Amino acid sequence: MIVSLFDQVLIALGMGILGAVIFAAIGLISGSDETTTLAPLTLLVVLLGVPAPGVLTFFLAGAVAKHMTHAVPTALLGIPGDTMATPLMREANFLRNLGVPHIALRKMISGAVIAALIAVPMAVLFAVMLAPFGDTIKRSAPWIFLAAAIAIAWFSKGRLAAVLALIPFVLIILGLQTLTGQYGVKLTVSYFLGIAIGPLIAALFAMMAPAERENMRRSEVRTFSLSPDVKSGGGFFPNPLKVLDRKQSLWTGITAVISSATFVFSPVAMTVIMGELVGSRVKHVYHRLTTVITARNGVTESTYIAEALIPLIAFGLPLSPVAAGPAAPLFNAPPRFSVDSASGEVHNLHSLLSTWEFLGYGMLAVVVALLIAYPFTMNYAYRAASYVSRKISHEAVIATFVGLILVIGIWEGGLLGLLVIVTVGLLGGFLSRFLGFNIGVQFMGYYTAVLTVPALVALLAG
Amino acid sequence: MKPELYEVWGDTVDVRHLVYAIVIGAIVSLSAFFTAQHFLLEWVASAQMARAYAMLVGIVGCLVGGAISASLFKPKRHVVEHEADPAWRSQILKDLQSEFGDLGRLADLPPETIAELKEMGLYELFVDYEKGLHNVGADPAPAVDGLAANGGRS
Repeated sequence: MIVSLFDQVLIALGMGILGAVIFAAIGLISGSDETTTLAPLTLLVVLLGVPAPGVLTFFLAGAVAKHMTHAVPTALLGIPGDTMATPLMREANFLRNLGVPHIALRKMISGAVIAALIAVPMAVLFAVMLAPFGDTIKRSAPWIFLAAAIAIAWFSKGRLAAVLALIPFVLIILGLQTLTGQYGVKLTVSYFLGIAIGPLIAALFAMMAPAERENMRRSEVRTFSLSPDVKSGGGFFPNPLKVLDRKQSLWTGITAVISSATFVFSPVAMTVIMGELVGSRVKHVYHRLTTVITARNGVTESTYIAEALIPLIAFGLPLSPVAAGPAAPLFNAPPRFSVDSASGEVHNLHSLLSTWEFLGYGMLAVVVALLIAYPFTMNYAYRAASYVSRKISHEAVIATFVGLILVIGIWEGGLLGLLVIVTVGLLGGFLSRFLGFNIGVQFMGYYTAVLTVPALVALLAG
Repeated sequence: MKPELYEVWGDTVDVRHLVYAIVIGAIVSLSAFFTAQHFLLEWVASAQMARAYAMLVGIVGCLVGGAISASLFKPKRHVVEHEADPAWRSQILKDLQSEFGDLGRLADLPPETIAELKEMGLYELFVDYEKGLHNVGADPAPAVDGLAANGGRS
């Protein structure tokens, strides 16, 4: 028993290191969206049969490392590292223009360290408080997903348009499921990937239409100004509490606790709101810029950790935007993990790990990610940003994702899988571009189709 | 031949390079996947595991395809070393003011932050700014449009 526990911890440690290294590298590539990268790789880890602790540490260490290294393009190149970095751009650009991008970078990743360490125990605590309601929530899951889909759609940029667009979107998914079902093909990942990568598919189709292509034409290449390398004190591994002042540490802690509790809201929205909350309480503009950017990057960590952990521990159902998107394979990855729509029965990390294991392995994942991504970012940020912007062409990035679409689609459902990715991606991409029907709403639309619609049909038939 | 540049998925690409890169990516990733699947289905007992491993090989193929494209096609970016020009700093203060309104007083700051500002060479900038405030009395800098670095919020 002791040996097997030791083995489990070793696997968890190994997978955590793997996740942290892979996603620390991905974080450096600007615009590498979390869902597009975390979901397929986590799914792969699940399907390869890695034990439950290893799956958890891979995902968490990956998310934590990515939200540290995404500070590199954000602070040094002035382009958002990923979706969660977009709310940090205003502060990052002001600090860059003041000539202190390295301060922005150091504060951001120090905030990430503090928030990530606070978020795991907080998420476990909130999950334990919610767990008594777990059975009720599981039984009414189909209706909760419907309500969540409508709420998330209403609060997206599309407002009423997004709420109403849910109906055709859900119908398309039901239609595709029926079609593939006739050939005995049941797909899940293809829908996730189609939704996550929709903006790329829509852009590639737009390129082929003459009128749209003219709109996308550029007369010259974009200029990126890379801030010069500035050495700062503190050695190889500076103490994050010394990089920040007391007020900044305090605000990072407070916003980390608040954003750990509000796991049902959009992580980008939480990052914006928490930043405003802090900004309104700091008077001097320089102090405000540095404090807000610290707290906001902290929130990108804490909200991700909590949105993945709380639904996992308390319900086993993907009831948050992160759980429905990037963390989806932790909940639902047939044939290994499954959520049964009719009975509310779940078989996934929720049933495989105890609360204490979630706490222990969660902390392990965070510590591993910090030990890898924090010193790397502190010391090699300039060289990494310079290498990525000068060596890795956008064509190569797009080609890699097109390869991913082909491999995953054909692996899951042959030609049908591929067609589903393209169909869902094209529809979702255009709905997102023109109506503000964003990726989070689309994921909830998918869950409405697979969970709510069967319950609704049963209700109407009975 | 002059490159045909387009903005796709957030960055600039040359359309010919993009087509070549996609063809390379597709060929490399799919041949990796199908070759791996062909052999693994014979070697591995469980067909499901064999296909999962084949997918892993296919994903490695995606990365290899991407690496080939990265070495063949250079980025369409102009990267310049950019040192923020001190002469621009007063302009930045105006931008900050149009974004946030009142910039606050140095007297409000904790000693650590004052030390940080001095270390960065920004302390004088804010001292001068406050002097300017006292001399003119009221609003020293009218709202300035233009350079305000506004992050896109989504």
